[in-house]
Amino acid sequence: MTTPGESGHPFTPTTPQPRPASDRAEGLRPGLAPDERDRSVTAVGTQPHSASGPLSASGSDEQPRLGAGAAAGGATPDSGAASERRVPGAARRGAVDPVKALMHRHRDLCERAVDPLEIAAGLEAHGVTDRTAARFRHRDVFSLAEEMYARVSRAPEAPSAPVAADVPRMTVDQVVLSLLPGALCAAAVTGLRLTEGRTRLAVAVAGVLAVALGVRTLLRRGPLSTLGHTPAGTSTPGTRAWTYWLIAYAVLGDGLLGAAVTGGPDGLPDGTATGPWPLAVAPALALALGCAPATWAAHLFAVRARRRLAASRGLEEFAASVRPLLLAAFGLFLGALAALLAACGAVLHQPAGTAQALTLGALLLLARLLTIHGFTHAPAVALGATATVEAVAQASVFAARLPGCGPLATPVDSLVAAWGPGCVPALACGTAALALLVHATRTLSRASAHARVEGQP
Amino acid sequence: MRIGLVTEGGYPYVSGDAGLWCERLVRGLGQHEFDLYALSRTRQQEDEGWVPLPRQVSRVRTAPLWTAEDDGVRYGRRARRRFTECYGELAAALSGARGAEAGGVGDDTEGEAAGRGGPDHEADRFASALYGLAELARDEGGLVGALHSETAVRALERACRAPGAMREAREARVPDLLTVAAHLEHALRPLALDWYEDDGLGAADLCHTAAGGTAALPGLLARHFCDVPLLVTEYGVPLRAHYLATGADGTAPAVRALLAAFHGRLATEVYRQAAVITHGNAHTRRWQERCGADRTRLRTVHPGMDAAAFAEVGEEPEAVDADTLVWVGRVDPAKDLVSLLHAFAEVRRAEPKARLRVVGGASGPDAVAYLGHCKALAAQLFPDEAEGPHTVGDNPVSFEEIGGPEAPTLADAYASGAVTVLSSVVEGFPVGLVEAMFCGCATVSTDVGAVVEVIGGTGLVVPPRNPRALAEACVALLRDPERRARLGAAARARALELFTVEQNIAAFHGIYLEIVSRCPVRRVVLNDSGEPLPFATPAEAHVPGHWTGPVAPATPTAPAAPTAPAASRPGPAWANAASVRPSAPAPTTEAAR
Repeated sequence: MTTPGESGHPFTPTTPQPRPASDRAEGLRPGLAPDERDRSVTAVGTQPHSASGPLSASGSDEQPRLGAGAAAGGATPDSGAASERRVPGAARRGAVDPVKALMHRHRDLCERAVDPLEIAAGLEAHGVTDRTAARFRHRDVFSLAEEMYARVSRAPEAPSAPVAADVPRMTVDQVVLSLLPGALCAAAVTGLRLTEGRTRLAVAVAGVLAVALGVRTLLRRGPLSTLGHTPAGTSTPGTRAWTYWLIAYAVLGDGLLGAAVTGGPDGLPDGTATGPWPLAVAPALALALGCAPATWAAHLFAVRARRRLAASRGLEEFAASVRPLLLAAFGLFLGALAALLAACGAVLHQPAGTAQALTLGALLLLARLLTIHGFTHAPAVALGATATVEAVAQASVFAARLPGCGPLATPVDSLVAAWGPGCVPALACGTAALALLVHATRTLSRASAHARVEGQP
Repeated sequence: MRIGLVTEGGYPYVSGDAGLWCERLVRGLGQHEFDLYALSRTRQQEDEGWVPLPRQVSRVRTAPLWTAEDDGVRYGRRARRRFTECYGELAAALSGARGAEAGGVGDDTEGEAAGRGGPDHEADRFASALYGLAELARDEGGLVGALHSETAVRALERACRAPGAMREAREARVPDLLTVAAHLEHALRPLALDWYEDDGLGAADLCHTAAGGTAALPGLLARHFCDVPLLVTEYGVPLRAHYLATGADGTAPAVRALLAAFHGRLATEVYRQAAVITHGNAHTRRWQERCGADRTRLRTVHPGMDAAAFAEVGEEPEAVDADTLVWVGRVDPAKDLVSLLHAFAEVRRAEPKARLRVVGGASGPDAVAYLGHCKALAAQLFPDEAEGPHTVGDNPVSFEEIGGPEAPTLADAYASGAVTVLSSVVEGFPVGLVEAMFCGCATVSTDVGAVVEVIGGTGLVVPPRNPRALAEACVALLRDPERRARLGAAARARALELFTVEQNIAAFHGIYLEIVSRCPVRRVVLNDSGEPLPFATPAEAHVPGHWTGPVAPATPTAPAAPTAPAASRPGPAWANAASVRPSAPAPTTEAAR
């Protein structure tokens, strides 16, 4: 294609041509610098008109042979015949504007390219070399790509429809899993009701273990797990311990505090709500059952937030649309938990302890939401502070029994006298939950909190 | 001389893809010490372990690129502000937004001129932002958390919305910003490594990065922090690979534009800072020049291939079937076997006794389907034929694999034919062609990729997708045994001159010496109280290699001793004691030996 005899080759198929290619290859001096070579190629290539060579004739069947369907539509109707047997006249196709034909063939590439180098890379991947570019009267592929990039008509981009985010759906086993802690806890409570003495103790221990395992499984998989979210934050081992403490307090603490204020307790808890150290079973059951609405709320929040993320154009817009979403999910959970508390209290004929259980549930949900979106610091602080406050309140009552330390118990005593023993955890959890809620509306409305980790190899 | 060799997913790992030439280089240059700095790409790669290391490797430091656990570093307010500034500048340089100093100017033309003050200005902005981030990471001890943070996303958004930003960047949506931030975080992970101290890359006389792109980043920072000269070797073009990778998978235009800008600017900065840039062929060279590499610093180092396997075949006189064409390679649609078969049909018309052997297997479903297609086409084009009415016939086109009875080794495959044919439409560096040249075969190839510069006039070259030209070239060679022999001998001579492992190693050795002679690292050695020690680095310390011989003078009996810097670097004992180069702890590989 670079010597006149060779580029004229398709026109004279019957003329015997001794060594059609060897002149070019053997005549090429190895010492020639690449740019000089290019120049010589360009100079020779432009003499017989470039479009008459074999390459433009073979252009239309390039794509099918390569197996890349990128520009399969570029094949003109007569391309089948042309590829089978080259009719000399076929070489004339597109002779007027060879670059236009090339652009048509690679129009996908041209339209999606963000700069000329991308077109150059794509052209090279399709076998276009500098010597091919010389046929289009260009020095190299880069300048050919620049012309193509400059000539491609870009319609003012229609705002691309927000891509339907591939939202994970809750599977059946995740739904079952979310109901598991509640079911286990209900079974344990029934067992406590039906048994006596040592058996009851065994049932209580088994029940606690079963519920803990159920919750643990729930936190490993599904919407409440930390998998598939933003870079998992630094793990804070304290969070788990504080959570256990808070839940234990919800079951045992109110009874102990109530008894302690009045001089008790006179014995260990016996598993009933009427003993010397009464157990608050109803809030525990409601909280265990509340795992299900918590899972659904987290799922709802994640899915909706991801949709908003795909649809929004700016970070502020996204933040503004996510904040109400967070509040809605949170509110739904609170409503469901309140209903569960009322139902549990009615079924078990116990005081439900609505205020403290509700605030504790809110605190735990917010802490978990923050954790699964990569913010581990604030939940650890909030949970730790709450647990400390509760422990101090409890300890102050007992410390007041020491000689000379009577005034220590005054704040707690007055609080208990005014609103009952449940107000201590309610106040502590409520304050922490409020703080976390404010924190969450700021942090969870950030787009980076909803970025998913790329599939790492 | 002490060379810091930086690889990415490469050499010391067993499954490293570009490991072979690094290994040959390290083994071939026993007179130098090598410190390996390896970035691993996957966990699997890391689990598979290292290849056995030669004794000139004094230590190996690795870092994973595939994971980024949060380092738990929390920035203070000042560090946060520094990060915001640097990252914002980086984002602005990527999106092409006008700089802060030009943004406030009311006059539009003036702002335009200041913001787009030529490629140099852009490159400077990018470089200063990059080094700013690196310094921040060095001062604070971590960067990953900040790169993940909302601050980074906000900076990106601001840059994309700023006046003067690229068209594609202006259309960036929130998911695009997140994707870009994640990619940047991945690409900038080498910034947070602790390799750029005086006991790391700073102790090297020369930093050689085995690839461009992310792998060149440690070298760039060593150049910035410790003034270690940088040698960049690119056998592929990372920028081009990036374009091909992102173009195919339907990434959003904004993401592609920003990431392409990042990789382009990074390549430019690497080329600006490198003392010497090497490439394997003219194609890579053109991309390097396009990205701003200075021509005076470009060197072509042809890839080295092991010629030993082909020596026997190449040296013996031609004793082959004079009518056979051979194609050797991995079957793939880009190899255009269909065109080869059509060409062979024409050859048969001129030379009815000609035969074609296609040697090579197919891997992958596409390639297997293509091979099946080719076999079917061959069966259609060429009916089986026999010598006489009483013999069993055979097809003139045979499909074989290496290791079969007809072609037990690669060299046998090449030797079995009179002419080796290469019919590709797309090709990078044609390995098969070089092998054929080693075997002294006459070749006919298509003019793709680096074929012309490899063959250099010692074989025939025809345009791609031109079966008739291919056929005529083959016929010309089949009919002319003398010319075949002449071309084969010339090809073998050329290959032995240019494409052997020895020339590759010698070329790098020469480049090492050239760099060290042109930009020697001058270190000021301090004593315990911080005063500079005069004459601590004696003149012979700058002599490349072990000027006293390869055996360490101190402990000639211990083979591991030459790897200790104090022994390899002759100088007074009092200077060594206070050397800025603390003796490296013996690496595990050394201890095991």
